[in-house]
Amino acid sequence: MAAAMVAAPPPPTTSAGHVLALLDEDDDALKLHALQLLDASVQDFWFQIASSIGAIEALFEDEEFGHRQLAALVASKVFYHLGDLDDALSYALGAGPLFDVAGTSEYVQTILARCIDTYVEQRVAEAEGHGDAAAPDARLVAIVERLFARCFSDGQYEQAVGVALESRRLDQLEAAITRSADPVKTLKYALDVSQRLVVSRDFRNQVLRLVVNQYEKVAQPDFGAICQCMMVLDDADEVANILFRLLGGSEDEALLAYQIAFDLVDAELQAFMAKVNSRLDTLAPAPAAPAAAEGAAPAEGEQHMETDQPAEAAPAEEEASPFAKRLAVFKTVISGDVPTELERQFLARHNHADLQILKNIRASVEPRNSVCHSATVFANSVMHCGTTVDAFLRENLDWLKKATNWAKFGATAGLGVIHRGNVGKSRAIMAPYLPSAPGGSTPSPYSEGGALYALGLIHTSHGQGVRQFLLDSLRTTQHEVIQHGACLGLGVAALGTGDEEAFEDIKNVLYMDNAVAGEAAGLSLGLLCAGSGTEKAAELLAYAHETQHEKIIRGVAVSLALIQYGREEEAEGMIEQMTSELDPILRYGGMFVIGLAYCGTSNNAAIQKLLHFAVSDVSNDVRRAAVMNLGYVLASTPEQCPKIVSLLAESYNPHVRYGAAMAVGIACAGTGLREAVALLEPLIKDSVDFVQQGALIAMALVLVEQPEARVKPLRAHIDRLYGNKGAEVMTRMGAVMAAGILDCGGRNATIGLRSRSGHFRRTAVLGLTLFSQYWYWYPLSYCIALAVQPSALIGVDASLRAPKAFQVVSNCRASQFAYAAPVKVDDKKDKAKLPTAVLSTTARAKARAAKKSKDAAKDAGAGGEAAKEAGGAEAMETDKPAAAKVAEGEKKEGEEAAVEKKEPEPTSFTADNPARVAPAQRRFISFPEGQRYAPIRAAPSGFVVLRDTQPDAGEAEYLFEEEKPAAAPAAPSTDEAAPAAAPPAAGAGSGDEPPPPEPFEQPGSSLQAERTMSGTEWWRGVTDKGKTEIPGAEATELRSAQWQIERDAPEGVQQQLEQGDKEAEQVEAYRDKQDPDYHPSKEKEG
Amino acid sequence: MGKDVAMAEAEAPNPDKGDQEKTTPEPQRPLVVLRGGLAVIKKAVEQKETRTLFGRLLRQTAGVRRRLTAADLTAFLNGALPQGSPVVQQLVDAVQQAGESAMEADGAANGTDGGAAAAPPAEEVAAPSGLPEVEAYCHLVTLMFLVDHKQWAAAQAVAGAAVERLSAHNRRTLDVLAARIYAYLSLAHERSGSLAAIRSSLLGLHRTAVLRHDDVGAETLLNLLLRNYLHYNLYDQAERLRAKAHRPEASRSMQQACRYLYYLGRIRAVQLEYSEAKDCLQQAARKAPSSAVGFRVAVAKWLVLVRLLLGEVPDRTELTAPDMAAQLAPYFAVAAAVRSGDLNAFSNVAATHAAVFRADRTQNLIVRLRHNVIRAGLRRISLAYSRISLADVAQRLGLASVQDTESIVAKAIRDGSIEGSINHEAGTLESARPVDVYATEEPASAFHARIAFCMDVHNEAIKAMRYGEGGGAVQEFEDATALRERQEQELQAALEEDEDF
Repeated sequence: MAAAMVAAPPPPTTSAGHVLALLDEDDDALKLHALQLLDASVQDFWFQIASSIGAIEALFEDEEFGHRQLAALVASKVFYHLGDLDDALSYALGAGPLFDVAGTSEYVQTILARCIDTYVEQRVAEAEGHGDAAAPDARLVAIVERLFARCFSDGQYEQAVGVALESRRLDQLEAAITRSADPVKTLKYALDVSQRLVVSRDFRNQVLRLVVNQYEKVAQPDFGAICQCMMVLDDADEVANILFRLLGGSEDEALLAYQIAFDLVDAELQAFMAKVNSRLDTLAPAPAAPAAAEGAAPAEGEQHMETDQPAEAAPAEEEASPFAKRLAVFKTVISGDVPTELERQFLARHNHADLQILKNIRASVEPRNSVCHSATVFANSVMHCGTTVDAFLRENLDWLKKATNWAKFGATAGLGVIHRGNVGKSRAIMAPYLPSAPGGSTPSPYSEGGALYALGLIHTSHGQGVRQFLLDSLRTTQHEVIQHGACLGLGVAALGTGDEEAFEDIKNVLYMDNAVAGEAAGLSLGLLCAGSGTEKAAELLAYAHETQHEKIIRGVAVSLALIQYGREEEAEGMIEQMTSELDPILRYGGMFVIGLAYCGTSNNAAIQKLLHFAVSDVSNDVRRAAVMNLGYVLASTPEQCPKIVSLLAESYNPHVRYGAAMAVGIACAGTGLREAVALLEPLIKDSVDFVQQGALIAMALVLVEQPEARVKPLRAHIDRLYGNKGAEVMTRMGAVMAAGILDCGGRNATIGLRSRSGHFRRTAVLGLTLFSQYWYWYPLSYCIALAVQPSALIGVDASLRAPKAFQVVSNCRASQFAYAAPVKVDDKKDKAKLPTAVLSTTARAKARAAKKSKDAAKDAGAGGEAAKEAGGAEAMETDKPAAAKVAEGEKKEGEEAAVEKKEPEPTSFTADNPARVAPAQRRFISFPEGQRYAPIRAAPSGFVVLRDTQPDAGEAEYLFEEEKPAAAPAAPSTDEAAPAAAPPAAGAGSGDEPPPPEPFEQPGSSLQAERTMSGTEWWRGVTDKGKTEIPGAEATELRSAQWQIERDAPEGVQQQLEQGDKEAEQVEAYRDKQDPDYHPSKEKEG
Repeated sequence: MGKDVAMAEAEAPNPDKGDQEKTTPEPQRPLVVLRGGLAVIKKAVEQKETRTLFGRLLRQTAGVRRRLTAADLTAFLNGALPQGSPVVQQLVDAVQQAGESAMEADGAANGTDGGAAAAPPAEEVAAPSGLPEVEAYCHLVTLMFLVDHKQWAAAQAVAGAAVERLSAHNRRTLDVLAARIYAYLSLAHERSGSLAAIRSSLLGLHRTAVLRHDDVGAETLLNLLLRNYLHYNLYDQAERLRAKAHRPEASRSMQQACRYLYYLGRIRAVQLEYSEAKDCLQQAARKAPSSAVGFRVAVAKWLVLVRLLLGEVPDRTELTAPDMAAQLAPYFAVAAAVRSGDLNAFSNVAATHAAVFRADRTQNLIVRLRHNVIRAGLRRISLAYSRISLADVAQRLGLASVQDTESIVAKAIRDGSIEGSINHEAGTLESARPVDVYATEEPASAFHARIAFCMDVHNEAIKAMRYGEGGGAVQEFEDATALRERQEQELQAALEEDEDF
């Protein structure tokens, strides 16, 4: 201080010491003066005042001192400078009116921010009801109220919305919305923010309800958004009411109702839609009259309606009221018939799956390696998912017959994937394999079980038609494999319906305590009650404790996760219970409970819990599952996932690395995110085979339907791997599966966990979860079909048909998102790789023909990427010779542009009605003005309902019309198709009319086929005995070891084996003659 | 005068200022370097990178700083900032004025400037950018130019305007540049003697920087504030601020850390806490870059005095290092006088170099040293004589009265600076036998200190071993597929060889 007193002249004051001394005086006036001086100079001398802060605090405490508030203000400022914001805030509150809320100084702003933080904390603690949740300080509330008032007066409504949401003040939220100048904008903002940032599910639902109420008060409510909210709230009645009103309204409103229905169906919530449907039924009869009074009759489309849905249209015809007609049309949407049919047509017609890839795989994968064999069958199924193109299977019947036992189960299920969505014809397609097929029983329980599973896959989320059949099948059989298939099929078809009857039946199967059937039953129960959080979960868990079978425990554990899907906090009890189990399999399930319950929430607590288990659990399975489930939790913020798992991806533990790869695959599915690819790239070359497998699959999930330039390296890598004898079997299996996923849905689909409106599709998420169980059980890999989402933009008019004369413009180069160029046939490679036995003249002829057709296509299209597009178009034209001239003219132009290569590629192109819009392409899509059809709502993908702006312009032409007869395809009757009647007829990979599905296998012959494989008869015994508990990986090892022994066996042994096969064949033939009704299951029953 | 140089160097202790020019055969033209800097800024802003790239930028800029001409700078400013913005006008005006005065000063020497200005437009000129970082950089370069040409008033104006503009932004990418600008603002005011005027605004800026977690800024501003207080000898205020102000746990900049230690050392020295002061000053001296001669000289001066006050005698080589010898000469003389314990010699030295000490603000320490001189003398005596009369002591120390001497000796014994006792009857000082150091705990504690130091180093080294960015285990994996292929091939080759036989 001495030095300070000697201070140089210039500064007016260099110390607050003298002022501080005044505080010790007795006179209040002096103290007041001191405080005033300090208040003014606190910025310069806070560090000096800090030493005497005790005195100032004492002044504030002193009840008799007249200027306590000033003392509080000074103290607050000092604490603020000292960095102790909590004390600063409490003194600022003590300062009362002296603390100027409107101030712009840093001090005021910082304290206010702190104020809001504290308030939010207290409010949240109060709402959650934990701890000493005392009501917030009244002064604090007053300040926050003042802040709200200021926000309103300044017009900063978004800020008010944000604070209201954070502090859980619904009243203020409402005020912000009602008082804002542009309520619609504020509502949108509130909706968006509440979806993304509100952590608590309860509160989020409250907000949604409020927002919906407010939305309805707006002059022109956005019914689409309202219905989406209602769907999240599971309020079917309200949705039905809105839709009902819309249907009774003007033409445009009816169209809007259709559009909403399409959007709702997109979320694939079967039970919800059923509720809406039934509610509409109850509403319909009474107010039909007022609706009819309006009289604006949408006459158009009536006839078509009849052809489309005769059953639905018939009553409409009788009543003849426009409303009823609309309702009937509407119901075809809400029941999912029209959307699935349109999507199926799109996928079938635009199928660009490259058969050559499959051929190459088939040629280079040795057929005796059953792991790779079934992976190839899987790849084919996924590649053709929903396209109804099973040409590859039919061309390779002999090869396909090599699938035995569970491989056969899988292969049959694959048919279901290929025909996914072909709801109308499902029974006909699968008839040859179904247990109750006419003409006696089929030979193999595996194909029967597979067929039931396939039926379920075909009817995913539209299971009304097949539920009863599956249920009957389940009841009539005692064979565990068939039960397995029936359970899975029922679960998938009736996903999330909570069907009581089915539940009881499946539970009975579960309680039979049979490992194979029990596992499927467990999973199936989970699927039935998906997302319901039902009380029955406890019962299941109790059974999991009881049973000895690991398979059943695993099935139940995963099913518990399915049940808790999206329950967030409500699942905490279950999470707590399962993660503290002693059994690692239940903890494994616990990880999935966390992942699915918090799916897409990015919930910090959940992430922390998963990370904890990922590094600290003793079981590798649990750690793997924990890391993998990070992918689900982070699914809404894919860009975060690679960052969070990046360290785990470098773990010493291969299981953790595998989990990291899958987490990235799940979270970033279909996004093509660069960070994700960068993280997976090193893992693809990992030293452990199954990590490579996971990384390959994850990479395929990430890169599905991305621009070809990005996918190329992966394709090249896959090509190198599957034919590489040196690579591990697991790696090659991963490569083949990845090849399938990469081209899923004929290159016209993506792995979409979210619907177009941004909500998570429960079906897709659960499908991916089941897919990830392929680790233990290969047939579950087919569940990936649930997550396949066609990337189409389909315009439909009031009659729900797709008019031809509708186009969208894509403001990017055509080649940017074009299909991949077809793989060149490499004769040399084929020769080298093909085992001589398979090489036949027919095969060569086939290859030649394929090559020729490809060359021809190349000539026509002049090679460019765009030519591929044109090629597809050509195919379409052949389908419909009477194509609209306008469209054709457009196309010609496009083609010419493509031919003239030297010209720079145009920066935009037009696409015809069912347009393929890759996920990354969406932002380039625009709707040109002046078309006959204008979209009700300009969405870049999915279904767009169109308004006919020129209704008088004559009869519109529609797509997919010519096939109406053909689309009821020549359903092959079971007895008709003989092995000879399945010739390799259809041109491979061309855009031709999809050939009618035929069975790849035939009752009479398949038995034989199976017997010819009886070189492996003893091994089948192994599975039959050991099937109870052999986990997938071990079984694979066993199997591959077996093939290895056989491959390596000397000539003599091989001959013996063949000899044995022949003998067995004879025995079989003899037995067949004796007992044509022979069935393996019967044998078992004795 | 010495102080002037010291401060200038201390402001910019820049390791590779001169070196770069020497090593590169043909130094790049300033304009090119400056424009290259703009690209660096853009990249840094894109990557949200706040340290490495800005560090590189500042080093590059420092490399060309001395060769910058008014014409170059004008061209750069016009190209970098959007035309017509008031900022450009202000900066260009300031540069031009400074350039003119420089021209007047060196006359024909700068005649070549015109030629240099004519050439540059050929270079590709990046489009002007509205980034606040670019604007800050322009301000900074202009400030450097003005400071180099000693245009303090103009520098003050420009720095003030720059701080004004900076306050509008809250971007972490600005932090490094802003910290430099604050430093120049303070320097300009210091040179024109108006440091006290900006103290309040510096305090405000410091508060803001702390709130925004701007570590670099907070550190720099705290140093500037300490400097500000010490400039007016407000040691008490400086200490209070230092104790209360928030400091980041790990320093972001070595230079700022050095300075902080230096100021802290000074404060401690004045507060009579010499051993703490010595620690701080020693660390500052060690951490300072070797090229920052001025700073090191300033530290060395204080360090010498503190060590003398502690009773230690600095090593001769420390004071006769070739680059610092001239400026440390007075202190060398002081040290010699203290060492010899010759009070007369000491008084002479203090009187001759009084002006230097006053300029260095070390005068009060010198005054305190007088006791040390006496004590040092006493120690020499006590070591040399087992018994000596107080009169002789007084004579040897050059003290006037024997009674005074008796008191002084008594105090020295009580303080423990000498071992011994006074025989009052005989009027003699009797020294105690020197104790055997090895019988005490001294060696053990010294040994312990060394071990602790080694353990510290070891622990630090272990702490420093972390996963790097993107590096780590994955890259160490061998490409498994390639490995397997290679093994396969080897096997094949071996089999073929077998067949040959």
